[in-house]
Amino acid sequence: MSGVAALAESLHPHEVKVAAALDASPDKDGLTDEDIARHSGIEVAQAGAALGRLQIKGLVSILSEVTSQIVSLSDTGERYFQRYTPLVRIISALRAAANAGAQLTIKDIQQREELDAAELSGAVGELKQEGVIRIAAGGIVELAGASSPTAESLQKLIQYVHEGAKPLTEFAHAEQTLIAKFAQKRGKPNEPFRVDDRVARRFGLTETGRAVAQQIRKEGVREEVARLTPEMLKDGSWRSARFRKYAIGLNPARIPAGKKHPYREFLDLVKTKLTAMGFEEMRGGLIENEFWNMDTLFMPQFHPARETHDVYFVKDPTHSAPIREPFLTQVAQAHENGGKTGSSGWNYTFDRMRTRRLVLRSQGTAVSARTLAAAPKVPGKYFSIARCFRYDQVDATHAPDFFQVEGIVLGPDINFRTLLGLLTLFAREVAQAQEIRFTPAYFPFTEPSVELHVRHPRLGWIELGGAGLFRPEVTHPLGIDVPVIAWGLGLDRMAMVALEIHDIRDLFSGDLEMIRSKRVQY
Amino acid sequence: MPTISINRKDLDQLLRRRATDKELDAWLPLVKGEVKDSDAATGELRIELQDSNRPDLWCVEGIARQIRCKLDGKPGAYAYMKAAKGKRDQVLVEKGLEHVRPFIGACKARGYKVTAEGLTQLIQTQEKLADIFGRKRRTISIGVYRLRPITFPVSYALVRPEEATFRPLGYDDAMSLREILEIHPKGQEYAPILAGQERLPLLRDAQGAVLSFPPIINSRDIGEVRAGDEDLFIEVTGTDLRMVMLAVNIFAANLHDRGAAIEPVDIVYPYKTEMGRTVRMPQAFGRPRTVTQAEISRALGTALSAREIRASLVSYGYAVAGSDRSLKVALPAYRNDLMHSVDVIEDVAISRGYHTFGPIMPSAFTVGGLSRIEQLSDKVRELMLGFGFQEIISNILGSREDLVARMRLSEGHPAAHRIEIENAMSQSIECLRQWVLPSLLRVETASSRSFYPHLLFEVGEVAVPDPGTETGTRTEVRLSALLAHAGANFSETHSYLALLCYYLNKPADHLAPIEHPSFIEGRVARIELVGAGGTSSVGLIGELHPEVLERWQITMPCSMFELTLDPLL
Repeated sequence: MSGVAALAESLHPHEVKVAAALDASPDKDGLTDEDIARHSGIEVAQAGAALGRLQIKGLVSILSEVTSQIVSLSDTGERYFQRYTPLVRIISALRAAANAGAQLTIKDIQQREELDAAELSGAVGELKQEGVIRIAAGGIVELAGASSPTAESLQKLIQYVHEGAKPLTEFAHAEQTLIAKFAQKRGKPNEPFRVDDRVARRFGLTETGRAVAQQIRKEGVREEVARLTPEMLKDGSWRSARFRKYAIGLNPARIPAGKKHPYREFLDLVKTKLTAMGFEEMRGGLIENEFWNMDTLFMPQFHPARETHDVYFVKDPTHSAPIREPFLTQVAQAHENGGKTGSSGWNYTFDRMRTRRLVLRSQGTAVSARTLAAAPKVPGKYFSIARCFRYDQVDATHAPDFFQVEGIVLGPDINFRTLLGLLTLFAREVAQAQEIRFTPAYFPFTEPSVELHVRHPRLGWIELGGAGLFRPEVTHPLGIDVPVIAWGLGLDRMAMVALEIHDIRDLFSGDLEMIRSKRVQY
Repeated sequence: MPTISINRKDLDQLLRRRATDKELDAWLPLVKGEVKDSDAATGELRIELQDSNRPDLWCVEGIARQIRCKLDGKPGAYAYMKAAKGKRDQVLVEKGLEHVRPFIGACKARGYKVTAEGLTQLIQTQEKLADIFGRKRRTISIGVYRLRPITFPVSYALVRPEEATFRPLGYDDAMSLREILEIHPKGQEYAPILAGQERLPLLRDAQGAVLSFPPIINSRDIGEVRAGDEDLFIEVTGTDLRMVMLAVNIFAANLHDRGAAIEPVDIVYPYKTEMGRTVRMPQAFGRPRTVTQAEISRALGTALSAREIRASLVSYGYAVAGSDRSLKVALPAYRNDLMHSVDVIEDVAISRGYHTFGPIMPSAFTVGGLSRIEQLSDKVRELMLGFGFQEIISNILGSREDLVARMRLSEGHPAAHRIEIENAMSQSIECLRQWVLPSLLRVETASSRSFYPHLLFEVGEVAVPDPGTETGTRTEVRLSALLAHAGANFSETHSYLALLCYYLNKPADHLAPIEHPSFIEGRVARIELVGAGGTSSVGLIGELHPEVLERWQITMPCSMFELTLDPLL
């Protein structure tokens, strides 16, 4: 397809009409947008828009530009058209009063006619000058007998201009003077007329434009369709329709959409991986008593992590219902002297009331402890993604509340090596890490305890989690007699890397724009 | 878990060899240590020690000792532990202390000229032990003195606050005990430990010279050790005899490792203790434990011979006796963390190195799955996303300001009932959210520049008081949805709720008009679930009151619903 033919194809229907009108016009001086609108049967604004696009495409050029002055009515002028000018109203009010034998002051007129002070004083001055009225003693306004040519001409002009804006040159000299006198200008915003400059441009086809127009004439103007409509599909008219080609490269508008929270994407991935590995989800409450949060986990009641600077305590209620037996007694014995767990215990007096003190869950292991006490499946694998709370100064690395991913694995085949095997699996599945390292660790509730370090593809060596075999002091009092792995994964750092954020508080960001603009991970 | 600062050269001296970085990395797992920082120029290392039950490792001497033991294949000799019987210098305990601070332990260390680094470490160890192991001096505190000015027997006595005066560390003038408690920074810091006591503990020598006012402060005259001093006296007071003895044993071992000769001291009590009335310190007080080769092999998943087990334990500091099947193991005197066989088992694993144990996958087949509430939450989230809502995840901790005041609620209104924190750290973190809506309004407030409409939702937990439950509280999973745009209104919101309920097959879109201060009057309703047991309220729907929006500085109309998911199951 030639350049000309391609251009002809790309034209909007309005552009085709404008080009045809220009092509058909014998006028060497070109046509105005109004002329074109008239010839082609489209609106002036549509013609203007089409002319603009045709200029950009290089098919049309401006031949001449003439500035003319156009007279139209201002808002005040429209009001005067509806309710007459103050001049006319003052005269007719005075006539009516004279007929009724009454007298009016300027103030009376102002109130009666609801004129504002500036309007009134301007009109009174004009009428006095023309000798139409005079001001008598006591501020009484009287008709002096003369008629007002200004009032009459002005009212007629307003009526005429109301029919449509006119070029100033159309008016007689005297009328032009009157218009100039009553036109809005700086400092006089309340006059009835406005006089605006209007630029009249005349357009003509360029050489290419002429060629395109001839091409269109040769091929005929084919009706183009902007949208495929249901009607066209019903009546089959789409078969003869020609669809206008779009400018494809434009940026689309943004649309609001429903999207998962970026942190949820990460948590869902972890959840999916864990269920795929055979883990069953456990749930627990946000509020726990010290018994399930700490005592069952063999944290002695004098343990530093149980003080007010590590745990949030509930104000009201302060204590839970009494702890169920046999758990209370068995756990108390484990602490005091080991009970039947084979342990020597912590060797202190266990405070049974303190077990009921309510705290905000400080570790997901509390959920595991409750699961152990609720006759879990053996063999069994469990996990929880639990919101936990720690008494920490909030900063870029400490959130006031956070998710802990924790769980347990129970079974007769569980031992130190299966513990390491499980952690290896986590490293590969959750962190996609091939290189791993185990180091000895300490948790009050596990022995042996281990920390899992992995070489993360982007972060280098990181600590991915902590785990261990629950101490018999934890499992036996809860009625479990098989070995149990307790594990926890520290995923916040990985999540932050995945989401490209540097402040842990942004995991729960309140910035909608940031949440909306995060890309998905796959 | 403490982090301590040590000097590389000092460590090398105690190890009696120069350790490379690589060697150090390989050895630190023996002490559950991790290097946090290192400064090549000064040779300073900051090491975090994980094991809260191993205070003997919270010092460079202990770290070096554990590593040396491994390298040598056996523990060092601490001959003073087996010192011959006979008369020793004494510390005499006064009656009445059993009600104040019952226990004291002590020993002497001669012939070690304190180096600058040695002194720094001595002070650090003293502080870490008293602070973390001794719970800020409550259970134990430690004093170190120049031995030479002291005339034995030392008395551990009780005196009235005005009765004794001495020059405390850091001050030029003598002060009474009362003045120390009121004026001295350490006095102010630790006074609560002695709160309510009419008579206070005081350590004096036979001449009446004050050593210290435990657990507050040492005398400047006898209790200020400087580099170059040669003979030292160590004393530990506390509320737990075993902890006191353990601390003495640790200090004795540390000073011994630095070349001092340790001389025991006898503590003479006027009351009975579990170790008798006269207790010699340092003294090994742990009991041997019996572990079997079978239980160790089973727990570690590895068949280990008795010889291998024995070698692992001895090279980790244990004394091992008994038969091959059943080993009698005892910890060195500076440790007291053996409660169960599993503690021995871990030490076997650490001694051998975790890398020597090949991982094996747990073989049992289990079926994974989600809880029912999580499954429902997932379905609801999926539906809301399909409706075009953006998911939000928020903090559960919040403020009274956001959860109550800005919602136009007053305290006492049922919608304001919530769980408050007793030891709140700040006003922005003082309670748990009792509804999710304020979390979404927080997002709306911060997001006026993001293009509209805003359709937001969160499926998340809240906590509400509930006297009928075990914890007096209830954790609920809620769906909250917020619509913010120029035309946001009740009927649009109701359409989403109705559609959601339709898909969930729950007739929970029955609405009962209510009054609620957070919403425009006549444009708020309770969402009711009609079930077999009757009608129950499961949520709220309404147009937010302009005053609520004003308080959140939101200039866009907002409409919402919040639904509790648990009752839908």
